[in-house]
Amino acid sequence: MPSRTATAPQTTTEPASAGGGRRRGGVNREGLEAGKRSTRTILWILLAAALVLYGFPFLYLLFTSFKTPIDTIAVPPTILPKEWTLDNYINALGRNGVPASFINSIQTAVISTLLSLVLAVPAAYGITRYKTASGRVFIMAALVTRMVPPVAIGIPLASMMASVGLADTPIALSIAHTTISLPLSIWLMSSFFEAVPQDLEEAATVDGCSRLGALWRVVIPVVSGGIAVTAIFAFLASWNEFLFALLMTAVRSQTTPVVIANFQTQFGLDWGSMTALAAVYSIPVILLTLLLQRKIVAGMTLGAVKG
Amino acid sequence: MRIPDRRFALYLMTPAALFLAVFVAYPLFRLVTDSFFKISPIVGGPRDFVGLDNYIRAFTSEAFIGAGWRTLAYTLMVVTLEFTLGLGMALLFTTLGRKSQVWRTMFLYPLMIAPIVAGLLWKFLMIDNFGLLGTLLSQAGILKDPNQIGWLSNPDIVLFSVAVPDIWLTTSFMCLVLFAGLQNIPGDLIEAARLDGARAPSLLFRIILPLLRPVIAVALVVRGIDAARAFDTILIQTNGGPQSASETMSLLIYRTMIRFGDPGLASAMGTIYLLAMLAIAFVAVTTIWRPGKDT
Repeated sequence: MPSRTATAPQTTTEPASAGGGRRRGGVNREGLEAGKRSTRTILWILLAAALVLYGFPFLYLLFTSFKTPIDTIAVPPTILPKEWTLDNYINALGRNGVPASFINSIQTAVISTLLSLVLAVPAAYGITRYKTASGRVFIMAALVTRMVPPVAIGIPLASMMASVGLADTPIALSIAHTTISLPLSIWLMSSFFEAVPQDLEEAATVDGCSRLGALWRVVIPVVSGGIAVTAIFAFLASWNEFLFALLMTAVRSQTTPVVIANFQTQFGLDWGSMTALAAVYSIPVILLTLLLQRKIVAGMTLGAVKG
Repeated sequence: MRIPDRRFALYLMTPAALFLAVFVAYPLFRLVTDSFFKISPIVGGPRDFVGLDNYIRAFTSEAFIGAGWRTLAYTLMVVTLEFTLGLGMALLFTTLGRKSQVWRTMFLYPLMIAPIVAGLLWKFLMIDNFGLLGTLLSQAGILKDPNQIGWLSNPDIVLFSVAVPDIWLTTSFMCLVLFAGLQNIPGDLIEAARLDGARAPSLLFRIILPLLRPVIAVALVVRGIDAARAFDTILIQTNGGPQSASETMSLLIYRTMIRFGDPGLASAMGTIYLLAMLAIAFVAVTTIWRPGKDT
């Protein structure tokens, strides 16, 4: 059984273990950077073009959400609205069940994030700090969990929840979402604990702290940045999840992604309202990304490697 | 009264292990047991043991075999395109160096968008008649008529069309991981190769890619697993149609369960799907990724 550092190619763990995605530059930077000025200019133009193309679809969604109904399905379509209106937003947000679905989404994501952290932090600490055989087995089992298709456990999970009277509740959906975020959280937290020097808590135990006390008062504060990264990922996983939400919710606990999907069938093709709701649902996480981009990059790189 | 370290570690892991046992392992056990029964879709309805009957029905069903091939084709297509585009972007960012950092951030945002929103968005771009994509392509002179390509209505190309949102969403993930890997290639190695007169292509194929191999392997395995489970984006764009031409495994299992109310058959399909994923992932991890062998 390979040790964890060996499981992950050393190369990619580096930016994340440095905490905020900062990378060791120095020598390598000169190596791959383009030298000639003209080459660089061409590359910048290429990059700008790629990013415009890449960003355009989402901008088009935003523009559409401000169009009037006739504009929305005009042939040929126009990029910008002929006439800007907020009607779609008023329509979408005022629709029955939409505000409630936002509350359900937030509730579900918060509960599943907390659940995921409460379970993952001690487990990851136990795995990293005491390199026991059971710990190694457990972390591999968590990796295997990532390969389970949600559709395979979604159906039995839904009937389990129904049989304990939790059908159609945010709790049931939070538990389902935790099955996705827990394995990733364990992997992420393990790498963050890996970076904590052991003498830190040894010193604390010598000073009379219990092992739990040392974990709580010394180690946890040191990895608080890592806990934040893990929390963001657990939150995003739940916020964007659709299949479990579709299988496990009905009227009371429906999350917004399910409502967005239902727009297609229930109200014909009301593109304006759909795009408005989709925009409103995306904006909080885009803002979150901009705010916390370094942390997210760190977690993403690590997440790819670990789980 | 100090408990031994080994047991202390075990206590720390127990809650998480119990959670996974109850909410992942047990449902999987239920899935496998259900696959041997003929189950009425009505709650509390009859359950009759039918042995391997559901498996035989799965393997003899055209829909199942078709979905298997489509899932494979979809996964290969998504991962190949994402890898090529992601590597291109990662190289671009690397050659441009530090100043590209702001741009890298902008490149990240689709990762945060819900797949369901991405699917909806691309459906709107590719839909017949008022989809913008056809119009733009015809204005650019590439197509004669905006509706020449029925992105979502032509069974021959629909599998490609439903892959587009997935590619759009996660190319930046691939780019990010490869970019991180590129940062760790020692600069003097590249310098030395340049001094020896190596040109860009041979630099890429002979030096950079071999050195990136572990990172590439991880990125491919992780994305492959995700692509093989695609559901949201396809469901909202085509619901598997036209004529099942975009029905992948997750969709087929979902529909077998919900639409056609056949939990037994759906469970058998789910079990086969799970085993296939595990087998392929195992082979990929041990042969391509080779954790701990040559990092």
